Amino acid sequence: MNPLELTLGILTAVGGFVDISELVFAAQAGSSYGYALIWVFAFATIGIMVMGEMSGRIAAVAKQPVFNLIRHRLGLKLGLVTLVASLISNLITCAAEVGGAAIVLHLLTGAPIMLMAVVMTAVVIASIWVLPFKWIERTYGLLGLFMIVFAVALVKINPPWGEIAKGLVPQVPAGLSTQELLRFAYFGVAIVSAVMFPYEVYFYSSGGIEEDWGPKDLPLNRVTCIVGFALGSLLAISILSSSAQLFAPLNMDPQLPGSAVLEVELPMGRLGLLLALLGILFAVAGAAIETCLANAYSVAQFFGWEWGRHKKPWEAPRFTLVWIALFLLALAIVLTGIDVMKLVEFAVLFSVLVLPLTYLPLLLLASDRHFMQEHRNGVLANGLGWFYFVVIIVAAAAAIPLFLLTSGGQG
Amino acid sequence: MKPQDEVQLVSGLLDLPILDKDHRYCGIVDDLEFEQVDGMLRVKALLVGPGAYRGRLPGWAFWLVRRIAGERISRVPWDAIAEIGSAAVLNVAAETCGLHRTEDRVRRLIPHRGAM
Repeated sequence: MNPLELTLGILTAVGGFVDISELVFAAQAGSSYGYALIWVFAFATIGIMVMGEMSGRIAAVAKQPVFNLIRHRLGLKLGLVTLVASLISNLITCAAEVGGAAIVLHLLTGAPIMLMAVVMTAVVIASIWVLPFKWIERTYGLLGLFMIVFAVALVKINPPWGEIAKGLVPQVPAGLSTQELLRFAYFGVAIVSAVMFPYEVYFYSSGGIEEDWGPKDLPLNRVTCIVGFALGSLLAISILSSSAQLFAPLNMDPQLPGSAVLEVELPMGRLGLLLALLGILFAVAGAAIETCLANAYSVAQFFGWEWGRHKKPWEAPRFTLVWIALFLLALAIVLTGIDVMKLVEFAVLFSVLVLPLTYLPLLLLASDRHFMQEHRNGVLANGLGWFYFVVIIVAAAAAIPLFLLTSGGQG
Repeated sequence: MKPQDEVQLVSGLLDLPILDKDHRYCGIVDDLEFEQVDGMLRVKALLVGPGAYRGRLPGWAFWLVRRIAGERISRVPWDAIAEIGSAAVLNVAAETCGLHRTEDRVRRLIPHRGAM
């Protein structure tokens, strides 16, 4: 393993881990339930480590990204259902990320949110056009590391570390009413969905092909997934913990993406505020690129078109048209004036419904002797994989009832 | 796996991506065409293109596909296949089998500058 590649891979995974949904749900979970939902973040992070590692391994060994093989495994009809469902889910997520980045730009500049959404879309389209894949991934991932300021702010407020550690133990707070219990469950499902978004495995496995991974890169894949995602999850847990410490006693509900930066401003002042806003901006813009490219990868791979940003845009022309069109569509959704927080809620709701369709073929492929040979799933990967598959089936089944019963987490 | 080996047509070949001899993606094995030789069925060609979805999708879905993408079908002769694995790899360029045409047409619409 090249140490530089490894370090950059891990840092990129850390900087790219948090997106708008995790930011919003982490801050709200902390203000509403203290440290009691930390274990759900930790639990879901192990899930995305398991599934991410499998998707990277499939890319490295079978030399085909996940969506190319989803259709082969599920067949045309179910494959098409998976494609349409994941397109809708990723498009809503992409719109939420564009809207979130526009809000952050508005906070930084004071310019109107709609104008900032247009500027943000133009900048990301230009950067995907100009930069090759590795540069896109590294630029946004590394600049997203400004988010570390949330962990620094948590240390500065000197929280009760013992309480935070206890939050890692699976628990349900005592004394909640039925309605509050339902809302707690809704937050649990939303956090699982936000951490395990389907676009992450499509993007990660396609990224493996973009970077020409082979079996020699399997250790890099494993370390990046485990260490990078774990450190990224610590950032999300920092946001939750600061919110529990600062917002919960004041009964504040940090619903807007901008509210979370107060966690940093209070202990670190204006510089902290600026760094937090920049961190969120790059992390969310990076997530917008990932969701949009994940959709373009899926379409191109499903129909067998040329794809990838390791090629020049005109060398994969239909893929290029698709990602540009999807970005413009996401922008159009934001320009309708729909509340960004509604988009975030719809994104996690649709995503959790798509998760089983995404992860079933992944599990089947990673265990396939024909494709994976000696690199197929072992007992641990299979056991964990099927366990998390059952969990996401339960989460998917519970998502819509919980959403309706709690009015989208409003109680 | 070589095409002369025993191939499980549905689980091993149908819906696989196709790469040409230069490893360019040029479609998916959308269906198979058979011929009868000495009373036995043999695969004659891979069928590629939206027209090959007929019979594989419900009527309304195929109607929708036909409205959007047309009914074009390209035939890739069985002897143009070099290898079958996680993709079907051809021993010829995509263009010789009528593949990559839409890709080439759309390429002319995209500006060829500005990218690193």
